[in-house]
Amino acid sequence: MILFLVRRIGHGLVVLLLVSTVTFAIMLAAPGGPSLLADPKLSTAERAAIEERLGLDKPGSVQYARWLGRAVRGDFGSSFLYQTSSLATIGSRLPPTLLLAGTALLLTIGIGIPLGMAAAARPGSLLDRLVTTTSGIALAVPVFWSGLMLILVFAVWARILPAGGAVTEGESLGIVDRVRHLLLPALVLASAGCAEVIRYTRSAARTTLALPFMQNARARGLSARRILWRHGLRHALLSVVSVIGLQLPRLVGGAAVTETVFSWPGMGRLGVEAALGRDYPLVMAVTLIVSAGVVVASIIADVIQMVMDPRLRHA
Amino acid sequence: MTGDRAAARRPSWSTTLAILTLMILIVLAVVGPALYRVSPNTMDLAMVGIGPTTTHPLGTDESGRDVLARLLAGGRVSLTVGLLAMVLAVGLGTTIGSIAGFAGGWVDTLLMRLTDAALAVPALFVVILVLTFLGPSVVTLLFAIGATSWMGVARIVRGELCVLRQQPFVEAAHALGTPQLAIMLRHMLPNIVPTVLVAATVGVPSAILTESALSFLGLGVQPPAASWGNMLSGAQTYLTSSPALALYPGLLILLTVLSVNALGEALRQARS
Amino acid sequence: MSLCLLAACTREPARVDDTLRLPLINDPIFNPLLAPDIGSVMVNKVLFPGLVRPDEALRPVPDLASSWQMAADGLSWTFVLRPGVTWHDGAPFSARDVKFTFDQAIDLSSGSRLRSDFAAVAGVDIVDSLTVRFRLKAPFAPLLTLLGYNAGILPEHLLKGKKLTDAITFNRTSPVGTGPFRIERVAPGASVTMARYAGYYGATPGVERIVFKVVPDVNAQVAQLRAGELDLITIEPANLGSVQNAPGVRVLQVPVVQHWYVGFNASTPMFASPVVRRALGYAINRQAIVTGVLKGYGDLPGGTIPVALRDYYDSAAAPIPFAPDSTRRLLASAGWNAGPDGTLRNAKGDAFEFELLVDKGNPTREQSALAVQQDLARVGVKVSIRTMEFAALVRDRVLPATYAAMMIWWTTPPDPDQFSFYSTGQDNNHVKWSNRSADSLLQAGRETADPTQRRKIYDAFQRLEREDPPVLVLFYPREIQAVASRLQGVPKLGIRDALRHSEKFRFAP
Repeated sequence: MILFLVRRIGHGLVVLLLVSTVTFAIMLAAPGGPSLLADPKLSTAERAAIEERLGLDKPGSVQYARWLGRAVRGDFGSSFLYQTSSLATIGSRLPPTLLLAGTALLLTIGIGIPLGMAAAARPGSLLDRLVTTTSGIALAVPVFWSGLMLILVFAVWARILPAGGAVTEGESLGIVDRVRHLLLPALVLASAGCAEVIRYTRSAARTTLALPFMQNARARGLSARRILWRHGLRHALLSVVSVIGLQLPRLVGGAAVTETVFSWPGMGRLGVEAALGRDYPLVMAVTLIVSAGVVVASIIADVIQMVMDPRLRHA
Repeated sequence: MTGDRAAARRPSWSTTLAILTLMILIVLAVVGPALYRVSPNTMDLAMVGIGPTTTHPLGTDESGRDVLARLLAGGRVSLTVGLLAMVLAVGLGTTIGSIAGFAGGWVDTLLMRLTDAALAVPALFVVILVLTFLGPSVVTLLFAIGATSWMGVARIVRGELCVLRQQPFVEAAHALGTPQLAIMLRHMLPNIVPTVLVAATVGVPSAILTESALSFLGLGVQPPAASWGNMLSGAQTYLTSSPALALYPGLLILLTVLSVNALGEALRQARS
Repeated sequence: MSLCLLAACTREPARVDDTLRLPLINDPIFNPLLAPDIGSVMVNKVLFPGLVRPDEALRPVPDLASSWQMAADGLSWTFVLRPGVTWHDGAPFSARDVKFTFDQAIDLSSGSRLRSDFAAVAGVDIVDSLTVRFRLKAPFAPLLTLLGYNAGILPEHLLKGKKLTDAITFNRTSPVGTGPFRIERVAPGASVTMARYAGYYGATPGVERIVFKVVPDVNAQVAQLRAGELDLITIEPANLGSVQNAPGVRVLQVPVVQHWYVGFNASTPMFASPVVRRALGYAINRQAIVTGVLKGYGDLPGGTIPVALRDYYDSAAAPIPFAPDSTRRLLASAGWNAGPDGTLRNAKGDAFEFELLVDKGNPTREQSALAVQQDLARVGVKVSIRTMEFAALVRDRVLPATYAAMMIWWTTPPDPDQFSFYSTGQDNNHVKWSNRSADSLLQAGRETADPTQRRKIYDAFQRLEREDPPVLVLFYPREIQAVASRLQGVPKLGIRDALRHSEKFRFAP
């Protein structure tokens, strides 16, 4: 187990180095360069002064070496756009994203698994068809679209939920206010993943139900419901855990769009903004932190799977 | 269970409907622009945002361009992006997965770490980076989407091959002295075709939806060229004044994705 | 699932009537010297008054300075400061703050983005605690306008002794200004909350608080305005449909100091001739663009000085006419004749075709570029449009002048001075236009302070532009403001200047 962990962490570090090199290379090769320098009103002297201040006058390899040298010591440089430490900028934007993605993940699991199991229990039933159709549609609608529709319906027409933001700005209205702001974006962000988890749970549960030991259990007279929720769930969860592990990068990526639609002050939007503005230090920091998060999450998912399935422990 | 198997033998009505829908959409995208010869990009500032007329069967958009012509041209672009990005992703994934699964050892480890690295970065974010840097065009979009969605296929293919390698018929072929490559091509690859097909049906809708999300962020197919994604994202601005502008491309995306998914589901059931 | 959660929610709480809510598209930097982006400018206009501010006719009126005097030789200006002004932290405002601000503004290494605005300033001297003198390298008539444009005054007592760019706490979370509102809270990526400053030297503000909310997507801004969560947004003509008949929303328009144009690279043989540039100008149906693309929210142009500068716009001359026949005639005289396919060709047989660059993502510019393409096609000129990201367009094509034509715009201070854009060899003269008479007129214009004399100079410049157009001006856009009906007191100014009058905003009871 320890050996496994050490090996996985080692691999993870290699992955991060790989990610950083490729990202830096793509970034420098890009046309345009930092948007800071794209102001047609800048004079030649001002432009040169800015380039020198930010170290952009050096060759790419030198810039990367400098960046790497500082990064291993935990210094990710100062954001061009925000003119403050990249880490601090991310630090202030990470909690909202974690809240949003976390809630979406909970919704994904909380809605996806029970509905998937329920659909699997009675294949072909009205419930099964309803669930399958709804999840099919949820997978087929672009996120920005469903987001804007929800805003129009609930905020503009019905006026029962806020149209955007994480809290009512300028007032401190407490937890209820936060939940109200969280509701729509979390639902939108969860929808696609939820639909996917429903499908996996349903098919995993159906497969499990067909396994010999389940037939045995049924032969021993255990009730169908009991079999499904006791044994079926446990087995279905095994494969669902790995699906959820794969949802994480998508949650963060999808968050970029959701956060823009709902003006959510999170990191996904920050990442897009940084990429569009060619904010080199911020792009690097965001990419690395997100990748690190995903690497850690996948290690955790592996560990959970090992704990849940003793057979894997010796593999 | 028996019900499912019976359904697998004879295509259900929903599968038939899905195949029919897809065929219609593809035919329209291929021959539509040739039959309906109205330019999708020509603006007419005197005919802005009008409803259906005889000259413009579906009306015009807010730049006075013919909506029907744009839907046909956009369908061509969106379906091309969807299909080709999928082909690229599946091709890349199958190649990497097969090499890893067949070679094993350090090659396997190396390729799987590469796969992990690719999985670790949020796909949409990488696509955004690549596109802001290379500039969005249909070709860069294809490559960016394809190059960030092969990892799932690679993992599945490798997994299947690892299992297949230990199957009696493969071991028998080994014992008979069949060359490695022949075993791979003749005995192992045909066995993973169904898996790859299923993966392919997942790839198309996700590519189409990714393109539309990118359009929302301003990085999809660039106007004046049309895609369903950029038409839908552009229509948001006119949601209250001309809701039909959003309805058409939205419905077409929905239909395509639903149909391809139904097809994938049918394939999956047929396999099991 | 979602429905039961919704049911548990109460209805939207009644809006607190004393909070003005405005959108930003990005996190601002609270330092007028460092940040030229629109978000920062808007916020800094509220926090940091300058020596003067523009009134509704865009003329400079007293702000932190109560009066001023230019020396007879035009080489120095003396400003008497308003007494009794205090910073938001209670410290007194004095001449030292003004000197500190402009010392930093003209220092290349400070990170200042106002250096080119004040390049003519040699230094600022303190005469007494409430009097300063600006020493100039040459007479500089636009000085007063520029002092009221982006030059908010910074507190010396908080910023002295370290680099402006290193003052992160000040720049990002706790700025101190002299404006009608002071910073109360900053939520990164989300909002900036300001509260009325009791010690403000001007009129008592009409609202208790201003909340700037970061809402990057314009459709989301529109939705929030309609949901009553924002009070004033600026929109593109494309968004008009979604606000025009919305309940509780009214639409205002103000002329802004911008000219939108097609810039031709005059250093290329194709566009070197004034006749060719003038001819192309007659081929464009500008009225169709203003009606179709701008939905009427724009004005037809005469030259590069926009109608918003009412003191200097040459109102005697009619707008540039739409006369495609003149285009054909003039181009023929310049050696471009229509071939059998209708395309214009020169004596060597080369077709008149070029690439028009346009930045992507802005429907108004994209549609205008398409209209230009179609109008020019009608006179036999073939234009291919290439959309690029703005940063790439500027850095890879405009700055190195490796372009043929571009669809772009200038937002300028409310002053007719266009020396840096259209004088030979200047840094911002990206169109490489060169006209000796224009050079001397533009030079004289920036050195002449007397309004009557100045007006004559710029009239002459505008007449010259008719014969030798530096660029193909398309239109002067109007800023479209969608405003909550209850909001009153909004000055008839573009949003950035209007915000220096933030104390005038108030809600109808």
